[in-house]
Amino acid sequence: MILNQIFATILQTILILLLAPFAVGLTRFLKARFQGRRGPSPFLPYFALATMFRREMVISKSTSWVFRAAPFVVFASSLALALMLPLVFRFGIFGSLGDFLVISGIVMLGSIFLVFGGMDAASAFGGMGSSREMTLAALSETSLILIFATLSFVNKSFQVDNLFGAQSVVAHPYLLLSMFAFVLISLAENARYPVDNPATHLELTMVHEAMTIEYSGRYLALLEYASALKLTAFLILIANFLFPALSSANLSLVGILLALLFTILKVSVLCAVLAFFESVFVKMRFYRMNEYLSLAFFVALFGLIVTLSVIGLNFDYATIWAALAIFFVVFLFGRVRLNSILRYYALSSIAIAGMAYNLALSSEPTEALHLWIFAGITIAIKVILVPLIIRTAERRQKLTANLQSFLRPASSYFLAIILLLVIYCALHRSAVEGIIAWSNMIYVAVVLSVLGLATMIVHRNVFSQIIGLFIVENGIAVFILATVKSLPLLLELGIFAVVALSAVILSILSSQIREQYGSTDTENLRNLTE
Amino acid sequence: MNIFIIAFAFLASLISFLLPSQKVVRRIGGIFAAVNFAAVLILVWPYLSGAQRVFDGGWWLIDSFSALMLLLVSFLYLAAALVSNRYLKHEHEEGIISDKKVKLYFSLLHLFALSMLVVLLANNTLLLWIALEMTTLSSVFLVGFYKQKSSIEAAWKYVIICSTGITLGLIGILFFSYGAGLASGGLATIFSLSALIAQAATIPAAIAKIAFVFIFVGFGVKVGLVPMYSWLPDAHSKAPSPISAFFSGILLNVALYVIIRFQVLTNAVIGNSQWTTTLFLVFGLASVLLPVFMMITQKNYKRLLAYSSIEHMGLILLALSVPPLGIIAAIIHMIGHTLAKSSLFFGAGEILIAYKTTSIDKVRNLFKNIPRTGLLFVLGILVIIGLPPTALFISEYTMFAALIKAHLGIALLVFAALSAIAFAMLRLTIMMTLPDSSAPVMPKEKWNITHVVMISEIILVVLLSFWISSPSGMNFINSIARNLI
Repeated sequence: MILNQIFATILQTILILLLAPFAVGLTRFLKARFQGRRGPSPFLPYFALATMFRREMVISKSTSWVFRAAPFVVFASSLALALMLPLVFRFGIFGSLGDFLVISGIVMLGSIFLVFGGMDAASAFGGMGSSREMTLAALSETSLILIFATLSFVNKSFQVDNLFGAQSVVAHPYLLLSMFAFVLISLAENARYPVDNPATHLELTMVHEAMTIEYSGRYLALLEYASALKLTAFLILIANFLFPALSSANLSLVGILLALLFTILKVSVLCAVLAFFESVFVKMRFYRMNEYLSLAFFVALFGLIVTLSVIGLNFDYATIWAALAIFFVVFLFGRVRLNSILRYYALSSIAIAGMAYNLALSSEPTEALHLWIFAGITIAIKVILVPLIIRTAERRQKLTANLQSFLRPASSYFLAIILLLVIYCALHRSAVEGIIAWSNMIYVAVVLSVLGLATMIVHRNVFSQIIGLFIVENGIAVFILATVKSLPLLLELGIFAVVALSAVILSILSSQIREQYGSTDTENLRNLTE
Repeated sequence: MNIFIIAFAFLASLISFLLPSQKVVRRIGGIFAAVNFAAVLILVWPYLSGAQRVFDGGWWLIDSFSALMLLLVSFLYLAAALVSNRYLKHEHEEGIISDKKVKLYFSLLHLFALSMLVVLLANNTLLLWIALEMTTLSSVFLVGFYKQKSSIEAAWKYVIICSTGITLGLIGILFFSYGAGLASGGLATIFSLSALIAQAATIPAAIAKIAFVFIFVGFGVKVGLVPMYSWLPDAHSKAPSPISAFFSGILLNVALYVIIRFQVLTNAVIGNSQWTTTLFLVFGLASVLLPVFMMITQKNYKRLLAYSSIEHMGLILLALSVPPLGIIAAIIHMIGHTLAKSSLFFGAGEILIAYKTTSIDKVRNLFKNIPRTGLLFVLGILVIIGLPPTALFISEYTMFAALIKAHLGIALLVFAALSAIAFAMLRLTIMMTLPDSSAPVMPKEKWNITHVVMISEIILVVLLSFWISSPSGMNFINSIARNLI
């Protein structure tokens, strides 16, 4: 057994070390192909690294020992990931050391020394890159720990071996949230799009490249190699969410070979996905990084909350729909672009249709029919028609679709979370009073109504107010599902007709406001105050 | 009959929209409203005369209270249609509005009246909700009729604030249905107002209370209660004057009607009226006190009238908070306020036509420039501040009789507030009549339909005070009040 464990770890490390330059090269190659270029051979990084190892180094006189130590520490931290994480095999010899806080710490150690190295030469670019890297790291590290915490709660273990080893996503589909957050964080950690552009040395945008700009020769090779290792490790970890690594114990020679081949396949596929992603998306401005990383943070936090409530309370799919309905509206709350606000409104409405569908499965036939109709009309009107009407109104006004808000996105999310907690406590209190029994749906209904009202107050644009009104209406739709389940058909149609009519009237009115005032900022609507 | 009324009003709206000539549309508007008035009169007469007590046909519910409100709506509908004819003719001649807008105006006017009639006829709570929301949606473009900055702003505030309020009211309606569904279930009964009252005993009191809070606050927005009133002065001052009259005279009453219906239900569930009347007392008092401060420093006569409407809604709530005598006062007050306030807004429209401004400072020499309107306007002000012999005097007198007995301190406070309001309204009106040599001399005023409507309304308010004091009038009001206890 012991020999087997040691063997497995050695094999895994060697494979990752060999594979890492290929992963980087393959991504570049595929990206070039996606963009219509021929691109260099995927094996080019091997030659590049070999060349750099032979090159002479130029080191600034103003540097200290930190500058020379940094490449080794960074490389060691990446190597430690290859040694300790369950990438190809589980339960390697260092697996028992792999507490998730230790892993986070090792990742952080690498980042910190990279930052030191960048600052040590006292050049302008190095310092700038370092400051940016620390901003990103500070924002992303918390999310990483949240993701690990979620996984450890599901698997009842702190060892990364158990977290990523067991195939838990199929049994616990809500872990997809954590996985999504993990993908976002991985992109940030590995300096890929949309956080950093790995291909350029543009002084305005570069982060990782700015820190390594003073390095040359062997040290640069080490740093590049380290970042390739880290990328490979993260790619395999993401893949392991769905297809976990095999246990190292009792594997035949064929099994080992298959595991190795399978790992290569995983890396290749994910490289292709990454290349595709980087060809489709653009890099974000650095000042929008807080939005991106707060998205990751809230997805991770939300994953944790869902996990806690699903495992702690009773689990059903209604919970997931309910959670999604809230989740999208919380997102919407912090957005400023009309398109993304409408998108999240539509997604939240889909979740409500899902709730109705879910209820229909457990109802008697006549009521089930009503609920199916409800779900169908919800999708037709709230997912398609209402966003369409508002988009048309917006297009006709040739509006730059930024909707002013009194709060910045981060504080919006903070406010939303506070509201969620307050409503949770209040509803539990009222359940104690015996007014209405606690259920997820009631919670969703109240949360949507309150967040809708908050949207109307916090955002100061006519479009946000329209959407706010519709979110309140969505909350009431959920309330209908929660209390009386279904309405008489004719009246249900009537209520939906009122919603559609409101959308038309409000968008006509908004275009009149635009005509008269030249903007849709509600701050301007202050003439009548006597 | 009620199907005919609904179909006819709908048809009227459609025809007004489709007819090519704005002149025809204006003229037949009055005819449509007159037919509607006749039909409503035929429909509600048995209930008002006491021949029939209540009609409960599943979707529809008519008793003497809704019969009275129906009659008021169709009366004001007729009055507004007649005045609109003259008002829009003038606006059209001045070139302020196009042919298309005239047709849109009448089309929406018919639709607006229709949705109020449906609110009053509905027995199904959801139908009632839809109709109440339709009153908002159909009148948005009447408020924002002139497409100026300020009127668009008023329309925006109106639709956003009222829609939100009415949407919250839906939560209350659903809560009632949920409470009733706990015991019996079945979609047929839990949305029917009369069935809910019949099975009131099975609804848990805690649910009924929270439901009523939602309904009161939500629909209270539409009534214009303090502190949910902020849309009201804007909408009333920016809408065309006949529409302001329609709003102030009856829309607020219709919203209040819904609240009263659910109050009766809540009382039946709880078993006494203590809880709801306390709510009414607090909001009623606030709605009487706040307008005092707004009216004393008011510079715009239409806003002055709008704040007066808030105050009168407050008075009706206060009256309702001291049953059973107060309910009688509230019903008389509703009738009196509908007649008097609409007459005032019609008058305000005439002043606006003559002076082209709503600013009090720019209106001088009222008696000399437009003597007929001026006289009727001042008479209307005297009626609205509750001078005897008018119906409003009787209602306020009755209310104070009940209120002093129940809450002496509050009664004195309200009395002081009413005195201040009377002072403010009189002062501002007298300022408008002051002679001013620099004021432009206007062409001699002709007698027109607006004056006919105004004077008939004022005469009606006065005659009503005598009739109500008589035994048959007392019986009439009593029979209505019996539905509300």
